[in-house]
Amino acid sequence: MTVITGSTPLRPEREWNIGWTDIGPFLALLALLLVGFLINPDFLSATNLGNVITRSAFIAIIAVGATFVISSGGLDLSVGSMAAFITGVTIMFMNAMAPDWGVLAIPAGMAIAVAIGLACGLLNGVIVTVGKIEPFIATLGTMGIFRALITYMSDGGTIPIDRSLRDAYRPVYFGTVGGIPYPILISIAVAAVASFVLYKMKYGRRCAAVGANEDVARYSGISIVKTRTIAYAIQGACVAVAAICYVPRLGAATPTTGVLWELQVITAVVIGGTALRGGKGHVWGTVAGAVILELIANLMVLSDLVSEYLVAGVQGVIIIIAMLIQRFSK
Amino acid sequence: MFRIKRIAAVAVGTLLIAGQALAADKKVVAVSIPAADHGWTAGIVYHAQAAAKEINAAFPNVEVIVKTSPSATAQVSALEDLSARRKLDALVILPHTSEELTTPVKAVKDAGTFITVVDRGLNDPSIQDLYVAGDNIAVGRNTAKFMIDKLGGKGNLVVLRGIPTVIDDERIKGFQDTIKGTSLKILDIQYANWNSDEAFKLMQDYLAKYPQIDAVWANDDDMLLGVLEALKQSGRKDIKLALGGNGMKDIVKKVIDGDAMTPVETPYPPAMIKTAIYMTVANLIGQAPVRGTVKLDAPLITRENAKEYYFPDSPF
Amino acid sequence: MPRSDEAERQPVLRAEGIAKQYGPVTVLSEVTLDILPGEIHAIIGENGAGKSTFMRVLSGYAEPTSGTLFMAGHEVRFSRPEQAQNAGIVLVHQEILLADGLTVAENLFLGRELMRGGLVDDRTMRRIAREKLAELGCTASPNALVREISLADRQLVQIARALLDDYRLVIFDEPTAVLTGEEVERLLGIILQLKEQGAAVLYISHRLDEVQRLADRVTVLRDGKMVGTFPGHSLTQMDMARLMVGRDLAALYPERSAEPRGQVMLEVRDLAVPGFANNISFSVHKGEILGFAGMIGAGRTEVFEGIMGLRPATGSVELDGKPIDIRSARSALDAGVGYLTEDRKGKGLLLQERLAPNLTLSALGRFHPGLLMHRGREQTALTEAVEQYDIRLKSLGVKAGQLSGGNQQKLLLAKVLLTNPSVVVIDEPTRGIDIANKAQIYAFIHRLVAEGKACIVISSEMQELIGICDRILVMREGRITGEVTGDKMTEHDIALLATSDAAAATEQGGRQ
Repeated sequence: MTVITGSTPLRPEREWNIGWTDIGPFLALLALLLVGFLINPDFLSATNLGNVITRSAFIAIIAVGATFVISSGGLDLSVGSMAAFITGVTIMFMNAMAPDWGVLAIPAGMAIAVAIGLACGLLNGVIVTVGKIEPFIATLGTMGIFRALITYMSDGGTIPIDRSLRDAYRPVYFGTVGGIPYPILISIAVAAVASFVLYKMKYGRRCAAVGANEDVARYSGISIVKTRTIAYAIQGACVAVAAICYVPRLGAATPTTGVLWELQVITAVVIGGTALRGGKGHVWGTVAGAVILELIANLMVLSDLVSEYLVAGVQGVIIIIAMLIQRFSK
Repeated sequence: MFRIKRIAAVAVGTLLIAGQALAADKKVVAVSIPAADHGWTAGIVYHAQAAAKEINAAFPNVEVIVKTSPSATAQVSALEDLSARRKLDALVILPHTSEELTTPVKAVKDAGTFITVVDRGLNDPSIQDLYVAGDNIAVGRNTAKFMIDKLGGKGNLVVLRGIPTVIDDERIKGFQDTIKGTSLKILDIQYANWNSDEAFKLMQDYLAKYPQIDAVWANDDDMLLGVLEALKQSGRKDIKLALGGNGMKDIVKKVIDGDAMTPVETPYPPAMIKTAIYMTVANLIGQAPVRGTVKLDAPLITRENAKEYYFPDSPF
Repeated sequence: MPRSDEAERQPVLRAEGIAKQYGPVTVLSEVTLDILPGEIHAIIGENGAGKSTFMRVLSGYAEPTSGTLFMAGHEVRFSRPEQAQNAGIVLVHQEILLADGLTVAENLFLGRELMRGGLVDDRTMRRIAREKLAELGCTASPNALVREISLADRQLVQIARALLDDYRLVIFDEPTAVLTGEEVERLLGIILQLKEQGAAVLYISHRLDEVQRLADRVTVLRDGKMVGTFPGHSLTQMDMARLMVGRDLAALYPERSAEPRGQVMLEVRDLAVPGFANNISFSVHKGEILGFAGMIGAGRTEVFEGIMGLRPATGSVELDGKPIDIRSARSALDAGVGYLTEDRKGKGLLLQERLAPNLTLSALGRFHPGLLMHRGREQTALTEAVEQYDIRLKSLGVKAGQLSGGNQQKLLLAKVLLTNPSVVVIDEPTRGIDIANKAQIYAFIHRLVAEGKACIVISSEMQELIGICDRILVMREGRITGEVTGDKMTEHDIALLATSDAAAATEQGGRQ
């Protein structure tokens, strides 16, 4: 036998190997804040930043869930409609419970929201994994179903929350703890739990393996069906949490709630550094991505540079530039 | 200009007489409208179904069929199905888009059907026998007039507009033309797509950008809901007026209650479909010719007349 | 078609002092050689010796840092592959680079479709495709989708595609890596035919027996430097191996102490893998190395994928007397059967991931009991595996895709053994691996059985099976056609069982 042992000592692998993909979104975020400040100093005011980051919470929370789905090699187009559907059902449950339970109807409704979210996510997951239908088509289907259900439940109008619950529930969107709005705290909590699951738990490893190469995962004894289905269920739960934060903002669900959120969510995930084809997920990058999207929209209004007719176009250009910077800074 | 109520009263009166005279021959009126996908179209569906129910109950020799379609293509197919099955005596249509529906409606017309077009005109006006529509320019104009009056002719305004369409353009034009020459200044105008959530965000941004705003106009009530929520959160006291448009029941209720921020409303009520159906039926069996163009005015809804425009059971 | 060369025996291509550096790293230095028309010139060397860099320089995929290329006496410079192609240098890639969903003819003309009056001229393209394939002895229809034809036919389509250009020099990069017996013979025939027609051939291969048969001259590279150019027929395989490694190699196949085989470890009865294999029954004993021989497509890989729950299968599988559930890979792994796939890049390792996550992927549950992962434990395991399996790497933080083929195979072996299997199935243990790593892999296999595990080796290289196995089962068309042991383990006997009827083979074997 001819074994020659290596003579040079090996550098051990660092625990946190931070690369461009990890810090890219945060650099973009900083750059955006700087540009924003130069254009309009009001941009960095506490109120404005507070508003914008709070607003980005729904997309951020849903996008954290989407990070799991996309990391595992899936896609979920139904999240926007699902958010509307869960919002509607939750309000109807809360309204029905309000006469007997009073404000206790709110936490009860929240629990129901999470249960429904999990169920919706499981439905998507099972259609994709057990039914073996392309995620794009499967969730396009459920997207239509959820949207139709909310339209049907509201007769095309609005489902407003009971007036008796309105004031008690309002702080969940408008309230603050130590000056920080609840939705921001909730998204940080969701992202923290998610990054724990994704980076510290075995499930996260499996999720990334399934997304990076389904065959390798299968040959390593990892159940593709189980791993992906769980990712969709997590996505559903995240949508439910977002819906819980959303209800108190306008106090109603309408058929236009959450329209096109799915695209913002996917954009946030990709800006955050997670590849659309699957593999390693970047939870905090995703959160940064969601904030970036909302900041761009905010900056468009706060600056007088762009005609109202061109706003969407300029947003598109900025997103593409952000992605190009990431691509070429590697 | 007609007033809705009066037209309806005349039409119903004619029908009552006619209903007894011509019981033998059953007339078919098809109503083709968009499916409910937001507040206003939901109102259209509600009022169309209400009209059908009332007329079918009152006049055994008239059958009103309501068909909703989620898209322009679906509406074209629906027209073909409706006209293929039997001869239509009249068609009341609110087209999804002018372009796609013009030719199919013409085909129905050529088969000898009486055509009533509602709200959105067809590309060829000669197809329609009757055209019933709201006046979008008046929506903008009347809101502007009220603001000029209330603010004493000067102040800073922000405007939220909807989805780029003729309806949106006309409302904005009516508003801008009217404030021309006054000291009212539009600080900013941006699209919020007739969506409450987007309006909420846009209003937050307006508030961050402009330290002094006297009045807000959202050219649709869905957006006004978002605006009001953002105003409430900001706690700002400089905004004196926040007005909408379209006649949503929640906003009309505010007017009835004497809300200081939103004391008036301009209607572009979905009830116009009901007016159109009644007039069509009147023409059909009442020997009361109602051809031509009917433009419903957009009078200011104030506390005094608000009850007329309040439909608590409608989803809108 | 080869161009006729006016100056007889003037080198088609001459490389002078070719060197290539990537940053501070020199991967190739001072390579000088020439290739004559009608000559087969082989380049051999261990992985990392610089063969592929040299080939990339010749075919325009990389520019040399210094040195000059001459074609027919004139200096040439290639900064893009098309330039090399236009000069008459064509490259037959190691990997199959064809579009699966297109037809054979479409692939042949991809990017250079023939046009007639502004439209794609499918008729003519199909006709030419049929002719060209016939010349190479490929029977695939031009209308067949590439995904439907055999691996060997795909290789031929790829060669046909390369030979569609005007060529003076044809470079083959490991062309036989995916082929077996007969198919290899056919390909070697084609290469000799090219030589007859006067083309120059540059042949890069790990299979020293092929090099010995084909090459007129052999250039040996080691660590990026030229060891020398030698007349082909004067070198034995052992000579070549010594030149490549730079020192004497111990025997490739380790000596085995003849230990008595232990009790039955794995017993398979009446296994059927629908569409691939039927009636498969065999057993393997503790301390035994069992070989599986056969042609590609005989169903060997599929049998074990069936046992591992990776494809639908029926039948009974017992490990140590206890039946195991063959419906999921998890249950097979947990029961103690480990399987190293033949496709280590596609199915074995996550190439974009670092080594530690790859190492523990099959054993996550065992490795991280409870909810959390233990990174420290993982790092320790990696350090141990690197030492134990002699995985050569620059740092522990590299990605699996950055390892050479041999080191990837060692990592894969370490990964499977982390599940602590009592039976290890290794599919094509040395495919695409250089000779020094091969010897190590064989030694590891022996160590496994010495530790009391049972080992099953599937291989298309009969030499390899004969060299390391105690017993060889031969499969053909989804059935086990025979078993050879002891003196009967010869290429001749195995080939007969692999290609003709079992009964006939036994009869013939009996006569010998």
